[in-house]
Amino acid sequence: MISIDFMLNGRPSRIEVPPHWTTLDLLRDGLALNGTKYGCGEGVCGTCTVLLDGEPVRSCLVLAARLRGRAVLTVEGLDRDGEPDRLQAAFARAGAVQCGFCTPGMLLSARALLASNPSPTEHDVREALAGNLCRCTGYTKIIEAVLAASADR
Amino acid sequence: MRLRPFALAEPESVPEAVEILARLDGEARIIAGGTALVPTMRLGLVTPDRLVSLHRIPGLSQIRVDKGVLEIGAMTSLAALARHEALRSAWLLLAQAAGRVATPAIRSTATLGGNLCYAEAASDPAPALLCLDAQVRVADSVGERVVPIGEFFTGFYETAVAPGEIVTGVRVPAAPAGARSGYLKFCPRSAEDKPLIGVAALLVLDAARRVGEIRVGLGGAAPTPLRARRAETAVKGQELTDSAIRGAADAAAGEAEPLSDLMGSADYRREMIRVWVRRLLTALRDGRSWSRPGGGPLDPGMRP
Repeated sequence: MISIDFMLNGRPSRIEVPPHWTTLDLLRDGLALNGTKYGCGEGVCGTCTVLLDGEPVRSCLVLAARLRGRAVLTVEGLDRDGEPDRLQAAFARAGAVQCGFCTPGMLLSARALLASNPSPTEHDVREALAGNLCRCTGYTKIIEAVLAASADR
Repeated sequence: MRLRPFALAEPESVPEAVEILARLDGEARIIAGGTALVPTMRLGLVTPDRLVSLHRIPGLSQIRVDKGVLEIGAMTSLAALARHEALRSAWLLLAQAAGRVATPAIRSTATLGGNLCYAEAASDPAPALLCLDAQVRVADSVGERVVPIGEFFTGFYETAVAPGEIVTGVRVPAAPAGARSGYLKFCPRSAEDKPLIGVAALLVLDAARRVGEIRVGLGGAAPTPLRARRAETAVKGQELTDSAIRGAADAAAGEAEPLSDLMGSADYRREMIRVWVRRLLTALRDGRSWSRPGGGPLDPGMRP
């Protein structure tokens, strides 16, 4: 087992993990944070996306050992005192959620985009979400939601 | 599905890392970003008992310019390369190619050293580094050597890195004065895929608009990334007329030794090399820029 100290959704955390666990294993099986989904396991589908020091990463590819000293944000860390954050509210209003399986990854990729580019063009949004697959919505309402959330700022 | 259990070493210096590798005598695998290795392990294609991660070694993630030479630590992420000020001003070709790899959440994790060591023939950064005459720093327990990028890729997913050695960085000399350059990747399946073929080129036109210097790098065109020397020779010293460009494109298609796989046949790859070398050289001649640094797969210029 290896011991890691890191920030999880704004709170300092210390946990022991087996060295072969990925960040996704740690979140879902070690910490019961099941908002982050296991999709393809190969870094292709995007639903396991979390933010590591503000940058989107595939939690299925990043060994948990690499979290040491860094800050992780998952979908569970988005709400403000139980209220949906701006992006979550925009997704709900736009109908950008159907089955919901891709939504955690979409929200976090979109959050990283808006943090570095508060007024993105539609093209910027499409590029930022290029690695997040959705089989329900056809993407249109997701892109509308991200643009709406940015316009709110 | 979990990864098969392995022991993990996390050295905090290059000497410590090469000492561990020497002690394990070739039984350990090095992990950098893990974007290639972890999926390969999950599929059971490699089943290492021991991994040596380089992520705790300070200094391997730095980018600096030393006497006009860009020095990139092997653990530098492709995202960091794509957005770095020095690259965007003086090594734009590398910034463009790094910014074209896969998707944002892969580029944040994937490293330049890892990309080179994986030795994917259709690597995006490799053709750019071939055009920039980069050198790869390789360290072992004895010391460090520098391998020209043209000698780094030795075969299909094979490199000049020996067991016990670690790639620590990449040196990239400045491009020639007045150089124009670009990278185009052709992705017939999905835009975030590796390219069927990728083309990087750097050229300098003299006062008479003749080709003073030209370098062409190809991805997906052979078992390894390839410098298209015959294409370069075909137009060097000449005016870049449409016919001269067609000659270079034909030469590139001729010297390519592409493989057939599920993405496309060797013949198709060869024809696409002809098309995309022609398009890139024409765009560079005309001063058109199809791709921009960090630009994504939906760039209209990427459409065939």
